[in-house]
Order: sequence, then structure tokens, then C-alpha cells
Amino acid sequence: MPIQTRRDDDGQTLVIRIEGRFDFSTHQAFRDAYEHGDPNIRNYIVDLSDTTYLDSSALGMLLLLRDYAGGDSAGIVIENCNNDVRRILSISNFEQLFNIR
Amino acid sequence: MTDKPHLDEEALAELRDVMEDEFEVLIQTYVADSRDRIRGLQEALRADDSDAFAKTAHSFKGSCINIGAPRLGELCLKAEIAGKESRLDDASGLVDDIAQEFEQVIAGLDGLMVG
Amino acid sequence: MDDSVAEHSRPLRILIADDSDSDRLILKTLLKRLGHEVLDVANGLDAVSVFQREAPDLVLLDALMPVMDGMEAARQIKLLAGERLVPLIFLTSLSEAGALARCLEAGGDDFLGKPYNRIIIEAKIKAFNRMRLMHRTLSDQRDLIRERNRQLTEEQEIAKRVFDNVAHSGCLDASNIRYHASPQSIFNGDVLFASPRPAGGMLIFMGDFTGHGLPAAIGAMPVAEIFYGMANKGFNGQDVLREINQKLKRILPTGMFCCGAMIEADFKLNQLQVWNGGQPDGWLIRTSGELQALPSRHLPLGILAPDQFNADFDRVGAAPGDRVLMMTDGFLESADSAGNVFGEQGVTGTLDRLDGGDHPFDAMMSAVHRFTGNFEDGDDLTLCCLEMMDEAGLATLPDRAAPSALAGPAEWRCSYEIRERTLGEFSPLPLLLHICMEVPGLRRKSGEIYTLLAELYNNALEHGVLELPSEWKHSPEGFGRYYAERDRRLANVEGHYIRFTLHHSLKPDGGRLRVICEDSGQGFDFHNHPSVAPGNSPTMSGRYAGRGLLLLKRLAETIRFHEQGNHVEIVYDWQFARTAENRDD
Repeated sequence: MPIQTRRDDDGQTLVIRIEGRFDFSTHQAFRDAYEHGDPNIRNYIVDLSDTTYLDSSALGMLLLLRDYAGGDSAGIVIENCNNDVRRILSISNFEQLFNIR
Repeated sequence: MTDKPHLDEEALAELRDVMEDEFEVLIQTYVADSRDRIRGLQEALRADDSDAFAKTAHSFKGSCINIGAPRLGELCLKAEIAGKESRLDDASGLVDDIAQEFEQVIAGLDGLMVG
Repeated sequence: MDDSVAEHSRPLRILIADDSDSDRLILKTLLKRLGHEVLDVANGLDAVSVFQREAPDLVLLDALMPVMDGMEAARQIKLLAGERLVPLIFLTSLSEAGALARCLEAGGDDFLGKPYNRIIIEAKIKAFNRMRLMHRTLSDQRDLIRERNRQLTEEQEIAKRVFDNVAHSGCLDASNIRYHASPQSIFNGDVLFASPRPAGGMLIFMGDFTGHGLPAAIGAMPVAEIFYGMANKGFNGQDVLREINQKLKRILPTGMFCCGAMIEADFKLNQLQVWNGGQPDGWLIRTSGELQALPSRHLPLGILAPDQFNADFDRVGAAPGDRVLMMTDGFLESADSAGNVFGEQGVTGTLDRLDGGDHPFDAMMSAVHRFTGNFEDGDDLTLCCLEMMDEAGLATLPDRAAPSALAGPAEWRCSYEIRERTLGEFSPLPLLLHICMEVPGLRRKSGEIYTLLAELYNNALEHGVLELPSEWKHSPEGFGRYYAERDRRLANVEGHYIRFTLHHSLKPDGGRLRVICEDSGQGFDFHNHPSVAPGNSPTMSGRYAGRGLLLLKRLAETIRFHEQGNHVEIVYDWQFARTAENRDD
């Protein structure tokens, strides 16, 4: 499965993990991962440890998640990027919108 | 000679079932058609035309198989092969056998229709 | 579901051809008992003509027949059927493999042996009917897809024509610009706009919308309108970007955005201002060979709300001959047959290998073509190279103003004053220019008018109110210092103002525009200003560094200073255009 989710210990954080290519084909699965309306979820972690590639539609999907999670007040962390993925995020200056670690 | 029967009872029964009221028409058609074929064979022999001979024998064979006259069908097969191999001298005897067998078949069919 | 069940059990029209009367009768009866409509013939020729006339769903053919045999009939029937799948079954007592193979070659789909077996016949007919129906469904669907595709392509063509009307090439064909953009690039989301600015210099925007096809192209239209509309009026890059960002934020769905880069080139000040939000690094290639990267520092357009949007440009000095290179992502993602991408290494590698005589644009284009091994234009490449020129002099805006049917205002006066905070936050020039452009006779003079107003305003602001010494601007180090100091001083402008008063009236041969510019600064000793006297050196400290004053003198009819020199009055005359008939020459 290209997208896996789990709840973190405190039950308030949703961890979404994307394997392989994060592109237009993962669109629906990504949305399904967070659009469940669970009121307990306050924070999101997008785990890119196994993500090999990110394109502009993936950036768009991250923006959609941010919008869903409250826009400016959203708590989203993007972590474990490899060099290529990190570069793509930094060219678009996405660290201005997301906490990237 | 082979052990093939003059008429295949089972095949005929099947045909009667399929044709229903048309069964007699079918038999009459077969008989008329067959006389034409035998004539055709004789003419081909006289004209020494092995191709026409083979084709006519092939056709006749087919209708005999369908109607359920196995021995006659086999004779036609032999005639067809002779025609293909251009052995028309052998074929003349075959044509006589075919004519004779045909009379047997007609007699058998007549027997069926009565009663 | 009901439809297809009905389809499958519908009676078929079946053609049978057999020269044996009895065999034909048996088969015909069999098929009729299965519920089908039967057409029967005794030879191949009749089979073909009946087929043509009656268009049966299925054909049963005896292989050997007089006049025309089964094989030949089969060939002709298959030809007549064309794209339609009409199953063709050979009736044969042939047993020889070679003969059977020939039947298949002639177009036969299957065989039926003698004696005819009712069950086998029924099964084969059912199976072939299923195949026939499936084939028809597929053909119909294929035709539907073909038609839809054709429609979509047509729609795209139309959309492109609309777009081309909005996004003309501006000044991309200027002598100092080299560019490559494939005609279909709009459907990759790529845009490239260039416009001269009324007082000289150029504005260039390169954009890359997310997505493909029409959704990517549709955002480009409003951006083109904003860009060309505002550049025309003299707005600067910051204003244009803010408008573009706001528009895109509003109209694009969340998740869609536009990576963009804008360059504002000022040939008088030998400076470039650069804004890069999400595009690959731009490159400044100096005549010395020195390279400077112009990286993305901002989020792409259409993401941030207006109050969060950062329109700060980076300033960089650039002399005539220096070149700026910009490209979209498609350039970096160009791949060779093995799937390797050109990437940043491809770009920097090519730049490092630049020789003195190489033009960076040509070098980059041939490098990427050599890399991909592909010289066709099915490309996704957008590349632009701007070369800094010597001060272009006066207005370079082509005379695009359409003659107006209205006479326009002839006798009017207006006064516009901006004070304190607004001095740093808002340029009144586009508005003032707009007011002047209401006069038809001034429209073709927009460049000169804008230059006049801009000179007056910049001097009033920078030398009058802010008291910045102009000589700083002309050295590479002083440059940065100048603008830093400018920003600092703009934070302390309480009590200051700049006021423009415009008068216009008609004259017998045209009209007269009077512009008065007053500022709250200290003024200068205009009586003894060296540039007023002939034969002076162009670089002077203080107000109206020689170039500025000479420019004003050249453009205006008269120029007069009042009070302490912080009150300037300029008279600008224009004449009615002379038609060919009443010209003296």
C-alpha cells in the first residue's frame, strides 16, 4: 500500500506515511487518509522516509491537507525527507508553511 | 467389404425428430439429389474428368453422412480418393457398387416411411 | 443488464450456403427450430450477393461448391464485412489438415463437421454471437472515445486562440531578448511575458502553473491581462506581483498554484530586481564570466493571502552586456532515453563550460538537446535570456493607443498630494499617467509624459524629502548602501509630502500640459546649479544630478524652479497629428 496511516501514542496525532512516488496517482488515497473527520486529531505528521519522489501535485496535496487542518493554525510536520525531496520542498520554500525536520 | 450398416437408425431417428413433418420432404430431396450425383459420377468417368469425379463424390459423401447412410458414404469416400489420385480405371467398379448400395438405401428408407 | 440479456437471446439472421439440397434442408430446419431467421443459397456467388443485400449476423459456408467455392466466397464476404465482425463457419467433411488450414486463411473462424450435430451447432452459434456482440460494443466505445478526443483537441485549439489574443508576445521579440517556448507550452502550464516599461527598462515574467491541459492553461489568462495591463501603465514589478498573487489566490482551487519568477530590468540605473517563487535558480552571467545564482526565496503565487504575501525583490547591479537566464522546471526535467534528467547539474555544468564567445542561451539550448538526443518540438522547455543594454533613452512603448471616438477632456485641472506613510507605500505615477492619458493628444506621448512625471517624483522623493545623495547610486558599493538608506529614511517621513498639480488646456495647434511638483524638502540652489549652465560634468552631487535635469529640459517646453527649488513647474506642449494632406514636407 502506498499510503499507510497510524495514530500516534497520545491519539491526537495522525501519522501518514507515503511509500514510493508521491504524485498524482496517490491523490485519492492521500485524501482518504486524513478526511475522516475524527475530532481528536490535532496534529499531523507526514512521514517521507520511503518517499522517493515528489512532484508539484504532491505539493498541492500538502496544501490541501494544511487547508483541511486549519490553514495557518494547522500543526503539520513533514519529516525524514531524502535529499531530492528536501530540495524540491526548499525550492518552493515550503518551510515557510510547514515544519520540516 | 466393410461392416458398416446400410442405414444408421439412430441418426435417422434424430433427423425425424428435427424435421418433424418435413421428414418425408427431406428423404425425397435426398433421393432426387443422389440420383443426380450418381449420374454426375458416370458422366465424369466417361469424360475422364478426375477433378469433377472427386468433387461430386465428395459432395455425395457429405449428404450420405448427414442422412445416415454410412456404407454408401464410405464408398463415396473411396471414389473421392480415386478421383483425387486420378485412378479413374479403378473407379468404374466403384460407381457400380455405389449405384447398387444406393438401391439398398432407398429400400431401407422406404421401409422407414411406411408405418 | 436486461438489455444485454435481450441482445444475447435475440434471434439471428443466418446465411447458409451448401450445394447439397438435402444437407441444406437439414441445416435450415435445425436453425429455424433454434429460433433463427435463415437465408439459404446453393453456391458461393449467390452467397456473396445475398450477404451484400441482407447483411446477416452469421454465415455458414460449404467449403466446396460450384460456380464459386466456399474459400473465395469467404474471402469476399470478409471484405464486404469490413470492420464488422461477422462470424464465418465452414461446413465441411474435409479432414485433411492442409485443407482445413486453407479454410482459416480464407477468413473462416471455425468448422462444423458432418453429420450435423444439433447441440454442437447451438453451442457454436451462441459462442460466436457473444463474440460478435462484444466486438460491437468495443467498436462503439472506440468510436465514442475517438469522437470525444477530437472534440477535446478542438476545444483546446480554441482556448489557445483566446489565450493568444490576451497574451501577445509583448516585447519578447526585442533585440536583447532570446527565448524558447513551444507553442503548446501553455498546456504544460508554462507562460512567458515581457513588456517594456513606459519610462524605459523591461519587465519579464516566467510562470509554471501546476497541472496539465486546460486546468493549467486557464490560470494564465487573468495573469496575462494583469501583467500587460499594469506594465503598460507604469506599475512596477512589486505591484504587478501583488495583483497576480491576489488574483490567483482567489481563483485557483487550494492545492493549485503558480511557480513564478519576475525580473525588472532598469537600463538607466544598470540594475536588476529579481523575485523568484518556486522556479529553478535563475542565473546572472556577467561579461567577466562571473556567475551569480538567483534562487527561489518565496512561496509560489496563489498560496498566500495578500497580507502575508512577500513581494520583496532582490536588487542586483548589472551592466550592459550582462545576461540573465531564466527557465522553468520542464528544462531540468528533460530526460534522455535512459530516463536520466538534465537537472541542476546539467545547467551548472553548461554554465561552467561557457567560453567568452558563447551566448548562454544557445549554449543551454544545445546542451539540453544533446543530452536528450531529441531535436523535435514535442518539448516542455521554456527558457529566456535577457541582455542588459545601455540606457534606452526615451519611451520604448510602441504606439498602441487606439484612436478614441471621444474628444476627451480638454480643459481641466487636478491636484494630488501624498503624505507621510503613503510616500513609502504608494507610487502615484500610474494614476497621474492615467489621468493624462484621458487626453487623446497625449496618448501617443505616454512614454515622454511618464518619464517627466517619474523624474519629478523620484527627485522630489529621493533628493527632496529623503535627501539622498545621488552619486551613491552609480557605484557598485554605493548602490546597496543607497537603497538600504532609502528604506531607513522612508520610515521617518512625518510631516512630509509631495504634491502634483496638473493643468491642461487646448491651443490652436494642439494642447498644453502644465505639471507642478512640490515637495516638503529643503530644495536646492537652482540659480547656481552647474547643470543649468552648459558644458558641465554629468555626475554632480545633490539634487538633479545632471542627467535628470537635462532630460527634463529636453522633454519639456519650459522648466522653472520656484521658492527654494522644491517647487518645479514644467510646461509640455503637444500638437495635433498632421495628416498626409496638410503636411508641408
